[in-house]
This record gives sequence, structure tokens and C-alpha cells, in this order.
Amino acid sequence: MTVQTLFIGLDGATFTVLNDLTKATEGPPVMPFLAKIFAGGVRAKLRSTPNPLTPPAWVSLMTGRGPGHHGVFDFIRAEERGEEVFFTLFDSRDCRVETIWSIASRQGKRIAALNFPFTAPPPKELNGFMVPGFVPWRHLRRNTHPASVYDRLKSIPNFNAQELAWDFEQEKQSGDQLSDHDREAWVSYHLPREKQWFQVAEYLMREEAPDLMAVLFDGVDKLQHQAWQFVDPAYQQGELSEYHKRMRELSLSYFRQLDGFIEQLVTAAGPGVQVFFASDHGFTASTEIVRINAYLAQKGYVHWKDLPEGEAGKRRDNSYFAFLDWSKTTAYCRTPSCNGITIRVARKPGETGIAPEDYASFRTKLIRDLEDFKDAKTGERIIAEIHKREDVFPGAAMTDAPDLQLVLRDFGFVSVKNRLPAVEPREYPVGTHHPDGVFMAYGPGIEAGKLLGRRHITDVSSTLLYSLGLAIPSDFEGVVPPAMFTAAHKAAYPIVIGAATETGSKDSSADSMSDDEKGKIMEQLQMLGYME
Amino acid sequence: MSIAIGDTTLATVIALVNDLTQDWGLDTSPPPGASTRLAADLQFASVDIIQLCVALEECYERRFGFQDLLMRDGSYVGDLSIGQLADFVDTQLTQKEPLS
Repeated sequence: MTVQTLFIGLDGATFTVLNDLTKATEGPPVMPFLAKIFAGGVRAKLRSTPNPLTPPAWVSLMTGRGPGHHGVFDFIRAEERGEEVFFTLFDSRDCRVETIWSIASRQGKRIAALNFPFTAPPPKELNGFMVPGFVPWRHLRRNTHPASVYDRLKSIPNFNAQELAWDFEQEKQSGDQLSDHDREAWVSYHLPREKQWFQVAEYLMREEAPDLMAVLFDGVDKLQHQAWQFVDPAYQQGELSEYHKRMRELSLSYFRQLDGFIEQLVTAAGPGVQVFFASDHGFTASTEIVRINAYLAQKGYVHWKDLPEGEAGKRRDNSYFAFLDWSKTTAYCRTPSCNGITIRVARKPGETGIAPEDYASFRTKLIRDLEDFKDAKTGERIIAEIHKREDVFPGAAMTDAPDLQLVLRDFGFVSVKNRLPAVEPREYPVGTHHPDGVFMAYGPGIEAGKLLGRRHITDVSSTLLYSLGLAIPSDFEGVVPPAMFTAAHKAAYPIVIGAATETGSKDSSADSMSDDEKGKIMEQLQMLGYME
Repeated sequence: MSIAIGDTTLATVIALVNDLTQDWGLDTSPPPGASTRLAADLQFASVDIIQLCVALEECYERRFGFQDLLMRDGSYVGDLSIGQLADFVDTQLTQKEPLS
């Protein structure tokens, strides 16, 4: 048995950084093996989902479908009930469509998927191994498939579940303004964590040689959120402080280590393997704080609720969610990560919100008001793009999407806090998600040294199935990029479009969701970052 | 990890709790029973309670409206005993059909 296809996910990877790290400038490149992949393989920018965020983007990458079909729009799902809104976390059961892990499994391929978000709880009929990401260590055993593999992983030298798994206390810092000391600790924290995932991947590849070996390194995203100014080449000019130099070297040591892991995995997979890399989104600098609910309050859409006194009030103020008077609020942003506006419609008598028949005119006025949100000095629009949900989230799950999807002029995430001014410059630039991530391929049958035009995130799942010798489901939105593979390879292995995906009980599961899980807990949500 | 449904709902909840906490390094003497409180006795954080709820839903292959147990008057309850959880699941089992 040999690994046929190796997929390495690099959460948040961008060519803005990788191009720089693969160049030999004042010495050898920081990532020499990736430089070899660049030279010997194919690469392209990869356009993310309309909101370039981990949950919708990775689920699109794993399903070949847009968020309007798979139904995962954010970390958090909200349910409006009368004058209350309950918030809950998405999990794998919320995905309405089939993943490539299941598609490959039911066609007899053995898979291993490590550290991918929204794979917990794992599907029961999986042919292979799944160790989910975004799960705290105390629940890793129960969410690992098959159950017996967890004890096997414990036999790996230096295996440490606490180091490997998602640490909520650490992760909640990803979007916070950190002190210099805490930022350094934050970057350091991700070095051993990635090593743990590498060791698990290496072990399963050696011991089990699944047909599809997939591992996600998510430290790229986490590091770039806090250390963007130390890795973006644009910020390495002029006089740099000692702290800056130290942080840059620490950040580069992360990428140097990652390059070593990639080389070892590719080498261990053997010369016959086709290797693919993709990120869920890219990265860029956010330079301003946009308090979208504060702006909507000025326009009369949002009405704040008074904060309770004392500690409860402080906790509430720092919360991930808007704390609003639901009896009066008509349109608001639910979470910083959603970058969307939800219009509250009174569907039944007695419910709060606008009347259904007023929806179209209300939304038109709201769009106009959002367009009028401008930089006082330059007159430039703060919100560069405003998309109606039917335009960007077509599909059966569209009604769960925000009514309006926003793209800020600096690609930043909004703040939902009750503070003024509604827009102000940040003290220092922080990393934020850019819609263009990366897609790379390397190995036999793959073109060498080629730069393709921009691809779409849903193309990744089609490409992985093709590499496994499987047909592409007819309802996939993505396609196999023909220019990625050599003519001889395509002649020997034609791209085949096959039967549509299987949905099974997923739809009924999704339908029954409204009554469930609103008790999922606030402390778990607050750690997810994307705060001011 | 799948746990078989036990003779009683209480037995199932206890089996799940034991399964969930096996790596936590807890002193579980006496072993968990109906009166064991999840937070006070087993150091469950809120996220652990939710994972237990998800495990129960997976075990019974149906959704339970755990919000009715976990929230009271708009606030989350501070603690919960294994017996309370088992009673709640019992009640739900008599009211709800499986997912599919």
C-alpha cells in the first residue's frame, strides 16, 4: 500500500508571504523545499468563499459546494426566538452535504483527515482515520475515528494531546490586541503544536498508508493574525526595532519548521504521490477598526441593551456577541467573524422586526445607508462591497445566511462593540483574511513550474477526487483545473463526471436543528477571536 | 467513540461520562452515579457539558432540546447532576422520534 494523494492544508497561507520565504535573498530561502515545489509544480491563487472565514471556507473545500448549499456560514449559528437570540456553535452535523472524506470512503478509498475543522463528531461510516481539529484535548478521544486509534497515537514518542489540540484559552487571543510579551508567547505556542500534528501524520502514513492522506497545519493563520507585521515583506523596510527583528526571526522559525515537515511528509509518501496544498483564504493587513453595530445604531437600526453592573457587565462587553434590545433592533451584525448584516423580520404575529412585506424596501435603504458609511477625510467608502445573500449564497441553506455580506475596504473583520467612533485607525496593523489563498500541486502527472490563473476553493475537492481516480460528483461546483495536469496524464486518466453526492440523513438532521443546542456555551465561543 | 445504549438511561449517561473523562486524571472514587454533579465533582467546564450532550445525541441518534435543561430564565445553569441529565433524556425519549 502506498499513499496515492497527499493533501496539506495551510490555514490562511498567502503567496504574499510564501513568495518571499521561497526566495534566496540574503541567504538560502526560509522554505527551500516549498521553493522546490514552486519550481517543479503548479500554483495558483485560490479564491475563497464570499466571507473568507475558516468555517465556510474549509467546509467548501471539503465538500466542493458553496455555503449556500453546505450551510456553514460562521463559527456560530444564531436562532432568533421572539425577543431572544440564542447562539450556538456549528459542528460536523450541521453540514448539509457530503464531504470528500465520505465520498472517497464509500468508493473504497482509505482516507486519513487530520485537524480539519467541522469534522467532529466524525462520520460513522468512514473508511480510515479522522482526528478532528478545533476540539479541546479532553474530547479528542471521543471524536477520533476509529476510537482505537487514539490509544495508538499515544504510543508516538512525545505525543501530547494537550499540545496537539485546540486550546480555547490560547485561541481566544487570536484577534485581541496583545502585549509584546503575549504576542511572542502566542507565536511560540504554535511551534510544538504543529510538530504534534506532523508526528501524527507521519505515523499514520507510515503505519497505514491511506490512499488519501490529508493534514491541516493551522498555525499559519494563527501566527499571521498576531504577527502579520513581522512576516509581510511590506513591513520589513526602514528602521526596525529589536523586538521587531526578534519577532520576525521567531515567525520565520515557524515557517522554517513547517517547510521541514512538508519535506518529510512528501518524501515519506514516496515518489509516486501527487501532492496538493491549499489554504482556506489568504492574508493581508487590517489597519482600522470598524464598529458596524455602532454605525447601525447611529442610523436607527440597532438599539443597545444596558449592560449589567460589575463583572457580568464586563464579561458581556467583551463577549463575542452583540448585546442588543431585540424588541427594537431591526438590522444588526451578529458576530465579528460573520461580516454580515441580519435583517430581523417578524414572521409571526407578536414577533419583533420589520413586516415581511417591507423587506425589499427596507434592505434597499439599509444598503444605501451602508454605502454612505464613509471615511470623513477622504470620502472613501468604509464598506467596499455589499452583497445580497441571493447573489453570493444560492442554495437550500441560503436563508441561514446574513441578509447582506460585507467586504470592508481593508478586508478586516467588523467589531460588534458598543463604542465610538464607528471607525478609527488601529494602533498597529493586524493580520486579517484576504479572499485569495493558495493552491499548489506537485508530483507525477502534474505540470512543472506553471503559474495558473486564479482558481476557486471548490476546485480543491474535485482535484483531490480526480487524483484518487474517482469521478467528480455532478453536483460539485468546483472543477479539476485542466492545466494543472500534463496532457499525457489526462489522456491516461480522463476527468470523469459521475453521480451526484449522497445526502443521506443530513437534510433531516439539519431540519431538526432549530430546537437544539442553543445551550452551547458562551465561554467556548468567546475564544474564537476576531474581536477588536 | 460509540457507546452502546445501556439498560437504563442512567447507565448510558454514566457510561458516557466514564468514557469522556477517562484521560482527565480525575479521582473517581466513589465512581460516578446519579447524584454526581458534573461541575463540582467531575470538574466539567461548560464546554465539557456540551460535549456530553453531543455524545448523548450521537448515542441515541436523535436531537434532544438540551437548552431546556441547560438554560433557566435566560441564564445557563451552574451545575447539573448525572441523574438530572438522565431524567431529562428519559423525558425527551418519550416525546421525540429519531432523526431518520
